Amino acid sequence: MSSSKKSSDGKSSEIEEAVASLTMPFNKILLTSSDGESFEIDEAVARKFQIIAHMIEDDCAGKAIPIDNVTGDILSKIIEYAKKHVVEPDEDEDEEAKKKLDSWDAKFVEKLDLETIFKIILAANYLNFEGLLGFASQTVADYIKDKTPEEVREIFNIENDFTPEEEEAIRKENAWTFNG
Amino acid sequence: MNQMRKNGDLGSESFGACLLLSLPEDVIAVIARFVSPRDICNLSLCCKSLCEVFDSERIWLVQCEVVKVLSLSEMIQWRIGISSYKAFCRFLGEVMKPLVGVWVHQNPELGNVVYVMPGFLSVVGCRIIPQEVGPLGIEEARVMWSPVFEIICGFDGSAKFFLHGRDGKLHCCLHPGFVMGIEKSCNVLLLEVETRREKELCSEIETVLLGETGVQLPFRKLPFSYRRNLLHIVTSTVGIPVPDLSSERLFPTSKDDEAVLSEHRTMLLKMHKFGGDWNHMNLEDECINIPNQVDINESWKHLGFEVDNRNMDAGNQTQRKTFSRYFRSGIKHILGRSSSLKNTSSSRSDTRPWNLQKFLNFGDSIGLSLKASNIKLSSYQGWPNMDETRYALYKLPIKNPIANEEYAGLWGGTFGWPPGKCTEDKPGKALFLLMLSYEESQDGTERLLIGTKILEGTHYAMHPNGSAMFVIKIDSPSFELFPFDTNGEDFEHSYAGEGTAKGYGFRYPGYKPGTLFVTSKGLLMFVWKATKVVLTLQRLDLGELLRKGVCVSPLPPCLNFAYLTKSHTNVFAPERRRS
Repeated sequence: MSSSKKSSDGKSSEIEEAVASLTMPFNKILLTSSDGESFEIDEAVARKFQIIAHMIEDDCAGKAIPIDNVTGDILSKIIEYAKKHVVEPDEDEDEEAKKKLDSWDAKFVEKLDLETIFKIILAANYLNFEGLLGFASQTVADYIKDKTPEEVREIFNIENDFTPEEEEAIRKENAWTFNG
Repeated sequence: MNQMRKNGDLGSESFGACLLLSLPEDVIAVIARFVSPRDICNLSLCCKSLCEVFDSERIWLVQCEVVKVLSLSEMIQWRIGISSYKAFCRFLGEVMKPLVGVWVHQNPELGNVVYVMPGFLSVVGCRIIPQEVGPLGIEEARVMWSPVFEIICGFDGSAKFFLHGRDGKLHCCLHPGFVMGIEKSCNVLLLEVETRREKELCSEIETVLLGETGVQLPFRKLPFSYRRNLLHIVTSTVGIPVPDLSSERLFPTSKDDEAVLSEHRTMLLKMHKFGGDWNHMNLEDECINIPNQVDINESWKHLGFEVDNRNMDAGNQTQRKTFSRYFRSGIKHILGRSSSLKNTSSSRSDTRPWNLQKFLNFGDSIGLSLKASNIKLSSYQGWPNMDETRYALYKLPIKNPIANEEYAGLWGGTFGWPPGKCTEDKPGKALFLLMLSYEESQDGTERLLIGTKILEGTHYAMHPNGSAMFVIKIDSPSFELFPFDTNGEDFEHSYAGEGTAKGYGFRYPGYKPGTLFVTSKGLLMFVWKATKVVLTLQRLDLGELLRKGVCVSPLPPCLNFAYLTKSHTNVFAPERRRS
């Protein structure tokens, strides 16, 4: 399905929306990426993206929503995550389900390279998908945690532009962070 | 970029610039939540751009929030008094977080509870006095408390320690000292004397004579009488009277306290910088003499050195004289440059004066200090086994309630039913504080809920401090009915157990059967089966209690920190027992 074009004439876009709502199943939302890829998802899944949830509340979401800032490959990954996390299991009540979901999450990021994770973070931030933003941020944090500056520079391909004196000064000032 | 790229790290040339720098500020803040201060430091060392992004006020504020000892609004309010959120984070993580909690001592037997909580740009330790509560109950009570210590945060984030105590003339005084190290998982708080050195050593001979070639004897290895005497000498010398304790604020009690709190803080900062002359100085002034310590040579050269007898705890007069004599002869040796001075071969710590020399040789003055260590401690039914010859406070392992340990934590209550109802001849009821915790029974077959008594407001302790008031088989519900009129309460559960009763003397209480009842509003009642006596308990927030409370004057400084003599009576406020 191609994305519906917005027309300058308000009346005809209303008609288009009415036609779209007749041809699409009830409570489904259509998202279109910046490179024209379309994804049909349940409203419940779409509501995970706060930016869309607000549009639905304010009644200005047509059944088709363009996502201009996100490419198709990234959007598909985000939707995959959102579908799995539509209902978050309560840790106290359903430990089994939480463990299974955590294991799925771990496999989900394992296959992704750092560049993709960053693109996902930026997209999740734009869509205001708090759950994925937190999870992806934690994944990036895991790349950084307990690593020396040399190791971090290598992972992120950073050039050291400090003089040895400048580096020493920073180390001295922050010496307390290395206690215990 | 000429570097070799690892597989899977970066896909394309366009990401030569750092990926991290491409993220918006609020996303960086989310990532910062999941890393430690050390990681922030390592990130800052990578390159100048990352340093600017991560070594920033915004990110350090996130790190402060992660420590979770203060609310965001409190942190923003306190920010004016500290140079940066980074310095603040250090104080929060290294001083505040390890110390906040309930600290106790075995003596006196009525209970010795010091609640350490955030003050104003400080952490304060306040002792809850054994007392009675009036007919309005605990909620409305103005609980009596006295100040024990304060650790304030200087503008650069450094920690300054003050011990509260009254002097011989009954003035409330502050005794400034240093913080000598706080371990993150500390369980013992120690009051100590430490040696300081101002003057540079000018010759090798002096180094040898002062015993610098050996290792200093730590304060805790000195015999008790030397530790006690050193603490008394230092506190009586460095004590600075506080103008008016009743108008002082150690922690916020209402919204508009800030002016009084700031004044108190400025006073403390001046005292720490200038000592007794603080009142005539401004904070920005230079300090000429180093304050708040006792010069070792000066104090002992003169025979007329006085130690205020009234400040010492019930101890030995003759022992004090012996100590001074040993000390003077030791100093004479140093002054006479005797070659037989270097006597460091023996490592036995008995009551010879040489170990005192070995302690003092490391500096030319002594001062007050606070140390928080992690010591391997055994415990019985939740109560740590304490060394009663140390000026120390012990951390009580109070836990928060969780899924299947819903009654864990700090509870307070009184005897009698309905709660709060007082008789005419007894207008007040003794306030009891209990720590409830869960343990496996001796044979490992069932779980027990133990109610450890940590404070009681009676006149004379019948059972030891830290003994269990009741032990409940928490996994065995009982079918007992509450023996009195329910007073409108909705009773949900009851469990069988036993409560304290007369046993084989003071040290070993006996136990008689009883039942624990739980109401829907979260009240606990323990009823002794035979006597039908009821102990009613409710959850307590000590911070809230103290904020509504009334401050009373403290004991002399060393006793105020830790009362070392065995006593069954209310040594903290013998003349005032009701709030």
